[in-house]
Amino acid sequence: MQSSLPTHSPILSVQHLTVQRGRATAVRDVSFSLAAGKDMAIVGPNGAGKSTLIQAILGLLPYQSGEVKLFGQACDAHSAPLLRHDVAYLPQNFLVDPRIPMTVMDLVGLGWDRLGLQLPWVGWRDRRAAVHNALAQVEAGHLHPQSLSSLSGGELKRVLLAYCLVRPRKLLVLDEAPAGLDLCSEADFYRLLNHLKREQGWSILQISHDLERVRAHCDCVLCLNRQLLKQGSPEEVLHPDILNAAYGPGFVFR
Amino acid sequence: MAIDWQNFFELLHLPFMQRALLGGLLLGTTGGLLGSFTVLRQLSFFGDALGHSALLGISLGVLLGISPNVILIPFLIVFAIGVTYLLEKTRLWNDALLNIVYSASLALSIIILSFVKDYQGGINQLLFGDVLAIRPTDLIFNSLLLGVCIVFLGLTLRAQMLVTLSESLAKVRGIAVRQHELAFVILLSLVVAVAIKSVGVLLVSAFIVMPACTARLLSDRFSQYVAISVGLGGGCAIAGVLLSALFNLPSGPTIVMTQFTLFLIAMLWPVRRKVML
Repeated sequence: MQSSLPTHSPILSVQHLTVQRGRATAVRDVSFSLAAGKDMAIVGPNGAGKSTLIQAILGLLPYQSGEVKLFGQACDAHSAPLLRHDVAYLPQNFLVDPRIPMTVMDLVGLGWDRLGLQLPWVGWRDRRAAVHNALAQVEAGHLHPQSLSSLSGGELKRVLLAYCLVRPRKLLVLDEAPAGLDLCSEADFYRLLNHLKREQGWSILQISHDLERVRAHCDCVLCLNRQLLKQGSPEEVLHPDILNAAYGPGFVFR
Repeated sequence: MAIDWQNFFELLHLPFMQRALLGGLLLGTTGGLLGSFTVLRQLSFFGDALGHSALLGISLGVLLGISPNVILIPFLIVFAIGVTYLLEKTRLWNDALLNIVYSASLALSIIILSFVKDYQGGINQLLFGDVLAIRPTDLIFNSLLLGVCIVFLGLTLRAQMLVTLSESLAKVRGIAVRQHELAFVILLSLVVAVAIKSVGVLLVSAFIVMPACTARLLSDRFSQYVAISVGLGGGCAIAGVLLSALFNLPSGPTIVMTQFTLFLIAMLWPVRRKVML
C-alpha cells in the first residue's frame, strides 16, 4: 500500500455529527471513522440521511454539531482547499447545462488542477497526459474531444470518474456511483474501485443499495436510518435483525 | 448615403475620435471577457438590472449634489452586494426578483428626479451614452479595469470554470464559491458603472451579453469561447465607432447593431451545425 499516512491515523473521522435540513433532523449524532485503504459502505432506506451525511462531510451542507476530520485535521476555511484536494466525489445525479461550452478534456483537466491562483497554461502538458491516462482507465479515451452536452448518461458517469482519478487521491466518496451504468460497465466499475484500493491505497466511502456487492467488496458497513444503527464488518451489519430494524419488517432478503 | 471619405479620415485624426476608438476597444474587450462568464452563470439579467438601477444612483447623486462619475461606482457595488444577499435570502426566482429590484429602483429614481427641477443635463446621454465624450482619465480607468479583469479571471480561470460548471463539485474541492461569486458580481458592477458613461443604461447589457452569445454559437471549447468573446467585444466596438463616424450615426447604438449583425451571421453560419452536435 502506498499510503503515506501512519496507519493509526484515520483518513476520515466523524464525531457526533448532527445535520438539520429545514426543521427536521436528517442525521443525528453519527460517529465513525474510516481507516486508510478501506472500503466503507453506507446502507439504509430512502430518506435515511445517507446523502445528507456525505454532503455534510464534504462541506456541501452545514452541520449543527459534531466534528469532521480529514486526514487527522479539522476542516476549516483555511485548511479545506488543501485537505479537500485529496478527496474526490462522484455525485449521484450530475446534470450538465448543455449550454456551457466544455469538452471532456476540459472537465477531466479540472480534476487535475490544484485550483488556487495560477496562470491558466501552467502544466498543460502534464495535465493533458494525465487526462488521457485517466480516460483510458475508464475506457473513455475516444471521448476526449467531445463536448459534455453530447454525452449519454453512462458516458458522463465514466468521464466524471476520470475526473476523480486524474490525480492520485486518498479518499473517494461515491453517492450510488454505478446508477446509470449498464451491467457490464458496473462490473468494470467495481473492478476499477478494487484496483484503486489495493494498488494505490485509496480509501472509499460509498452509498450503496446493492447489498450483495457490499457484502462481496466492502471492508466495513454503516447502517443508517437518521441515526447510526450499526457499524462493523458486512457480516455483522448486513444481518437480518439489523436490516429489519433499518428497512422495516417487510424487507426481503436474497 | 454618400460617404465623405475625406471627412472620415480627418475625423480619425481628431483626439476625441482616437479616444473613442481606444475607449471602445477597452470597454468592448472588458465586456466580452466578463460577459463570457456572466452569460454562462446566467447572470446576464443581473447585469441588465444593474444597468437600470444605475439611474437610481445617478438621481441620488443629483439630489445630493454629487457627480454621477463619483457616485456610480460605489452605488453599484453596494447595490450588487445587496441584491446578491437578497437573492440568497429569499430563494425566489432570480429573474422575478431582479425585475422587482430594478422596477423599484427605476420608480424611486423617477420620483427623486421629480424633486430636482433643474436637472436638465444628460438624461439622453445617460440612456444612450456617448463614446465620443470619453476623457483621458476615463481611458486610464478603463485600462485599469480591463487589467483587473484579466488578472483576476486569468489567475482563477480553472476555479472559475469549475464553479461555472458545478457549484457542488467546486465546493467539494475546497473552492470558496460564495467569495468567488461575490468577487465576480463586484467586478460586473464595476464594468457596468464604467460602461454606462459610454454606451448608456439601455445598451450596457448588450456589451456583456452579445459577444458572449455569438462566441458560444461559434465554439464548444471553453478557452476558445472566451477568446472569441473577447475578440468580438473589442472588434465590434472598433467597427461600430468607425461606422458611426463614417455614416454620422449615434455611436453606442451603432456598436450594438454591429454586435447584433455578427450574432445573426454566427447563428446562420453553416459550420455551426458541425460544431454544436
